[in-house]
Formats: sequence, C-alpha cells, structure tokens
Amino acid sequence: MAVIAVYNIKGGVGKTATAVNLSYLSAREGRKTLLCDMDPQGSSTFYFRIRPDRKFNTKKLLKGGKHIDQSIRGTDFPWLDLLPADFSYRNIDIALDDMKKSRQRISRVLKPLRREYQNIFIDCPPNITLLSENIFYAADHILVPLIPTTLSHLSLQQLYRFLEEIGESRSKVMVFFSMVEKRKKMHWELMRQLIKKKGVLPALIPYLADIEKMGLYRQPVGAALPQSPAALAYVDLWREISKRMEKS
Amino acid sequence: MPTTGHRARTAPGGRRSIWSLPASLEVGPLIADLAKAFQVQPEKDLTRVRKWFDTHDWRLYRRKLLLFQEQCQWHLIHRDSEEQATAFSGGKCEQYRYSWDFPVSRMRVLLEPVLSIRSLLPLATLQTISRCRRILNRDGKTIALVYFDDHETRETGARFSTVTLKGMRGYDSGFKEVSGFFAAYGMGNEVAPYAPFEQGVRSTGRTPLDYSSKFRAKLQPQMTARQAMALIYRQLLETMERNEQGIIHDLDSEFLHDFRVAVRRTRSGLGLVRDVLPRAVLERAKKDFSRLGSITGATRDLDVYLLDREKYLARLPEKLRPHLDSFFTDMAGRRDKEQRRLSAYLRSPEYRKLIGHWHAYLHGLDQGDETPNSVRPVMELAREIICRRYTKVMKRGKAINDASPDEELHRLRIQCKKLRYAMEFFASLFPAAEIKRAVKQLKKLQDNLGSFNDLSVQQDMLRSYLAGLRPGSRKNQDLATAIGGLLTNLHHEQQEVRRHFDAASQHFSSEKNLLLYRNMFT
Ligand SMILES: Nc1ncnc2c1ncn2[C@@H]1O[C@H](COP(=O)(O)OP(=O)(O)O)[C@@H](O)[C@H]1O
Ligand SMILES: [Mg+2]
Repeated sequence: MAVIAVYNIKGGVGKTATAVNLSYLSAREGRKTLLCDMDPQGSSTFYFRIRPDRKFNTKKLLKGGKHIDQSIRGTDFPWLDLLPADFSYRNIDIALDDMKKSRQRISRVLKPLRREYQNIFIDCPPNITLLSENIFYAADHILVPLIPTTLSHLSLQQLYRFLEEIGESRSKVMVFFSMVEKRKKMHWELMRQLIKKKGVLPALIPYLADIEKMGLYRQPVGAALPQSPAALAYVDLWREISKRMEKS
Repeated sequence: MPTTGHRARTAPGGRRSIWSLPASLEVGPLIADLAKAFQVQPEKDLTRVRKWFDTHDWRLYRRKLLLFQEQCQWHLIHRDSEEQATAFSGGKCEQYRYSWDFPVSRMRVLLEPVLSIRSLLPLATLQTISRCRRILNRDGKTIALVYFDDHETRETGARFSTVTLKGMRGYDSGFKEVSGFFAAYGMGNEVAPYAPFEQGVRSTGRTPLDYSSKFRAKLQPQMTARQAMALIYRQLLETMERNEQGIIHDLDSEFLHDFRVAVRRTRSGLGLVRDVLPRAVLERAKKDFSRLGSITGATRDLDVYLLDREKYLARLPEKLRPHLDSFFTDMAGRRDKEQRRLSAYLRSPEYRKLIGHWHAYLHGLDQGDETPNSVRPVMELAREIICRRYTKVMKRGKAINDASPDEELHRLRIQCKKLRYAMEFFASLFPAAEIKRAVKQLKKLQDNLGSFNDLSVQQDMLRSYLAGLRPGSRKNQDLATAIGGLLTNLHHEQQEVRRHFDAASQHFSSEKNLLLYRNMFT
C-alpha cells in the first residue's frame, strides 16, 4: 500500500506519461490502483478518455469522502480507477491557504482511499506550491522523472533543498531518467555523474515516438502497443520501483 | 512452488446484472441489434473450461463458496460476488480428493475446516464461450461491458446462455441505458452469478443442498401414526439410497456413516413405535435391517480407528508412536478387504431385493391391514412414546451410583439413544426452540456416556488385537509395548469420563429440565 507522487518542478519532463503507464502496470498485476490527476490541465484524465466530472471541483476535493467517491471513474482497465482533474485546481493554493492544517489536507483526504486502493499515483502539476508541499507530506514515495541536462540537475537540487526546508525526508525521492536520447552525448555525461547517487534508479525511459503518440491513441502504451520498446521500458522501470518500495 | 494468482480475480467496481437468455432469443441478432443501438467494440472470444467440485453434502455451497479447477489451477470463489477467496496451482495438474491432499497453501488452510473429512466430488464440467462487447461513449471510452456467454455442460450436453452487463464506476447512466435495451427484449429478471453452475449441476441430476445428513421429517399433527412412520421410513430409506454409490465407490467414509445412521434410526423406529405396521411387514423389516446393521459394522469400525489415528498417536510418548505403524497398516488392509466385501454386497441381487421390498411397501398404495396403533393420531402416539422413553432414562439414571458396574452405564446409553431418536422422529410436532433445548440437554448426557462407551470398545478391540499377535518377533514386541501403553492411557481416560457422569446425570434430571420435558410431552 503506497502513495506515489510523480513530481518535477518543471513541466514537459514526462510526469504524466509516467503516472499513466505505471498506474496501468500496477493495476495489471491485480493491485487495485487509483490515479489522481492533480494537474489542472488534466492530461492524465485525457489519456484515459475520461471527461472531468462537472460537479467536481477544488472545494469538493478538499472536503474529501463521498465527494471524491462520487467523482472517481473506472478506466477501461480492470483494477484501475482515476480521479479526474478539475480546471479549478489552478487556484488550489488559495483554497489550501485558507484552511487549518493547510499542509496536511491532501494527506487527510487520501486516508480513506488508502484503505480501498493498494497503490495510489498522483500526477502532480509542476512548480513548488502549497499543493506540492501537501503532496510531499502525503506521499510515501516521490518519483522524479529527470531529463539528463544541466538545468534539470539544478531543479533536482532545488527539490532536495525544499524538502529539507519543510522537514521531509530525502529518502522518499526516487529519481529516474526520462526522455533519454541515446545520440546526445550530454545525456550520457550527466547520467554517468548522477547514476551513483542514492535514490537514482538504473532503469530509464528513452525518448520514443510511441510515447509521444500517446495523445493520439489515448491509452497507456502497454495497452496499445504491448510489445513495443516503450512498453517494455515502463515494465522495467516499474519492476525497479516495486523492488525499492518493497524494501522500504 | 504453489502460486497465488492475483490476475484471475474478477475486478469489482461498478454494478453488474446477469440475465439468462430467453429461449425465444438468438444471440447473433441480439448482438447485431446492440451494435445498432450503441457504439460497440468487440473483444476476442474466449473459451474457458471449468470443472466444479463440492462435497456430497454441499459443504462449500452451504458456506457460500464455490470451487473449480481451470487449466490445472484451483479457484475458491465467493458464491455471490464471484470474488476470489484464493487460487492455487501446484504445478502438477492433480485432482485432489481431500483437503489434506493439497500441498500446504492458503487453499488448504481455507478448505480444511470446511471439508473436514469429506472428499471433493466432481459435480459438472462447464465449457463457456464468452463473447465480450465494449460499449463506448463518444470519446471511445468504455462505459459498460456486455458478455454473451454460452455454457455447455460436458457431462450432459445441456446448454445455458447468459448475458452479463458490467457497469463502470462513475458511468451509471451508461449502465442504465444498456440495461434498458435488454429489458426491451424481455430480459427483466436477473439470475445469480452462479446460475450457470447450478444449471450445469441440475442437468446431471443434482440440485444444490439436495443432500444433508440431518434428519428432518415434516410431520402434520393430524397424520395417522402409520402415515407419519411411513414418511419417516421413506426419508431414511432415501438417505440410504443416496449414499449407496458413495460406499460402493469408496468416495469417503461419511457415506457409510450416514447410511448406517439411517439404518439405525429405522431399526430404532421399528422397535420403538409399536403396532403401527402390519405384523408381517414389521417382522421382515426388523430382520432385514438387523442384517444391514451387522453387514456394515466391520467397515465402519475400522474407518473409525483409522480416522482416529492421530488421536491414538497423541496418547503415546513420541518414542513409542512409530511402533503403531504396523497396527494401522494392518487396520487399513483389513478395512480395504471389508470395504470390498461391503461394496459387493450392495451390488448384489440380495441387497437389491431387500431394499426393493421395503421400498415397494413404503411407496405402495396398499399399506396393509389396520393394527392397534395404525390409525391413531401421530401426536398422541408421539407423546406416549417419548414419555415412556423419558421415564426409563430417568429411572435407570437414578439407579446408577459409583459402585454400579460399567454394564449399567452401557444400558443407560442405549436408553438415551432411544429417547433421542424418538424425539428426533417427532420433533416437527413440537415447538422448535423447546425441542432444540430438550435435545441439547439430552446430548450432554449422551456425550458423556458415548465417550465412556467408545473408550471401552477401543480397549476391547486393542485387547483382542493384542491377544492375536504372534509373540516372538522384535517388531511385535514393540507393537505390544505401544498397545499396552495405549490401553493404560485409555483406561485412565475412561475412569476420568466416569467421574464426570454424576454431574452430567444430575444436570439432566434437574428440576428445570423435568419441567421442560413434562410440559412438552404430557
Ligand atoms: N519518453 C518520451 N519520449 C517521447 N515523448 C515523450 C516521452 N515522455 C513524454 N513525452 C511527451 O512529451 C510531452 C510532455 O510529457 P508529459 O508526460 O505530459 O510531461 P509532464 O507531465 O511532465 O508535463 C508529451 O507530449 C508526451 O507525449
Ligand atoms: Mg503533466
């Protein structure tokens, strides 16, 4: 039973692609899995061909309980449910700020869901906000997709510093390389430097057209193209993550 | 390594409806119509073959469980939800008989207390061709799943078709729409998820819960004694008949046990309820059932020793236990021989004639001349008999003191048994709660007397076994030592049981109990 937040300060690094494909793999093992789409853009929701519930919004999310239950949708895949995002999430920080124990709100909302689901994935919006602070507090693991460039290296440092500030353990963090381009020398250089660090996974997700096209076929790659290198890369990554989760 | 499959579980979530396909409908056109009404995406057809198991007396079904084997994997599922309790595949494709035949696994842990000493019997093999259609919305999202399933029972060729509609969480309106579509085709009444299983089993001539070892004759107070007794005997005869095949094929020891209980009950009825059957019928039945009692006795006795093996071993220090091996091997050999003899007897013309005769009398129109009690109301006779039995038990019970010989306890045990049978025959004529209490009180006394008797029978058996052992060999010396140890142990235990007799007897003859019996039966 674990809450896994897929997070990076930056956008466009493959967070949503990761959350969608890993939650699919978790469910395929027969684990009851929930994917919470917390990004107001709702890309995860879109990938599963689900439309946001018109009756759902930030207020209801933060109330939790039956308000959330009513908005959870079954995906096309056994054991996998999704809590759709709502556009009102873009102002969620303001709503959180008005509340008591504003850092623990999401954790409290997830509590009953932890009993129902064996794995809960959170697809996070970028940036460091009160929402991300909430998510770090609630999550058992923070999964960080990292494009191996100098800048992304810096954003990882920022994340560590922030966690230290708010008193969260760095050991929650698992880093893996995302959108890796084999022909780019700089990618290899950076990976060689970072791979020895604690919390960095050996499995990586290459830059692949089949992943880029997910927006067209609107399914996890494992469902649409089960034998493709893209699907297999996620299987490897999920195996690596499961192993670490078991250990901790 | 045994594995526990996760994947085989049925996913929960949205609602589900199951209908049996009306005979007037054909699947092909129905699927075509569905595709006209909704955006439909077909999935690949799947075929599965499941062999279903339960005990003769439906122990799994009674607990709302079902067990099947599919492609060498065993699945234990909850009957109503179809959710999996556990799955087991041992690598080898074995057909396990008893719970203890399963390798150590969660499956075995779950089955053991339910099956106890009963064996699993194959009930029916269902082959299902499942055609799945996804119902999509305008985004191409699945909002419901429809399964058109054709089930065929391999043993009988019986066919049964179902339509299952599975909803998705958060898509209730889609579920309702598709449900409405099927309602328009006359599919209104839902069936249970295990309906295909039941249909398959029915086609083989069985019905869930069609057998129970419990005796419960439903009598009416205004019946005549002969009508009532004929009904009771018919039911007991049916129990015997339902167990014949199990004894003949040696499926498990309970078949013979239930058979013998029915024989004993019948004999008891013939003796207790006098002047109800015509004299000639009674005399013949008494003779025949006495024969049945004795011919089935040897196998049952040996069954009991073998079933109690662990209990015997536990009574000995660990060092002596292996010496009993040859004793049990010997018993098992004898048992097989007796069983074969019994099985041959049950197939013999002699037995068929015996049963046929009794059957013909009980089911015949002419039940013979009137006898002194035959037309009396059963209620009157029931009270009279139970009262008489009760008085006898009380009298004998009071006469027993610490100095009474064992023989006296033995006699009391038999009197109790007669009272018990009499109460059970006529139980349906009295208030259920009170009769239950009365039986429970009696049972406490019977348990004490029963243990006392069992222990003395066991000692007799071991003593005569010991006497028959050829002396001399080392092996037999060891065996004699072990049996000697057992005898000492059993003797002490028996004395202990006897020490508790007084309390049990006093409890039974308490004022409160006296009133309970007197109010009901006088
Ligand atoms: N490994 C990959 N290879 C190729 N394209 C990818 C890969 N991962 C993500 N993409 C594409 O990059 C874009 C951004 O990815 P996304 O998962 O939405 O990132 P984020 O959620 O971090 O903003 C999307 O168009 C997605 O299809
Ligand atoms: Mg995203």
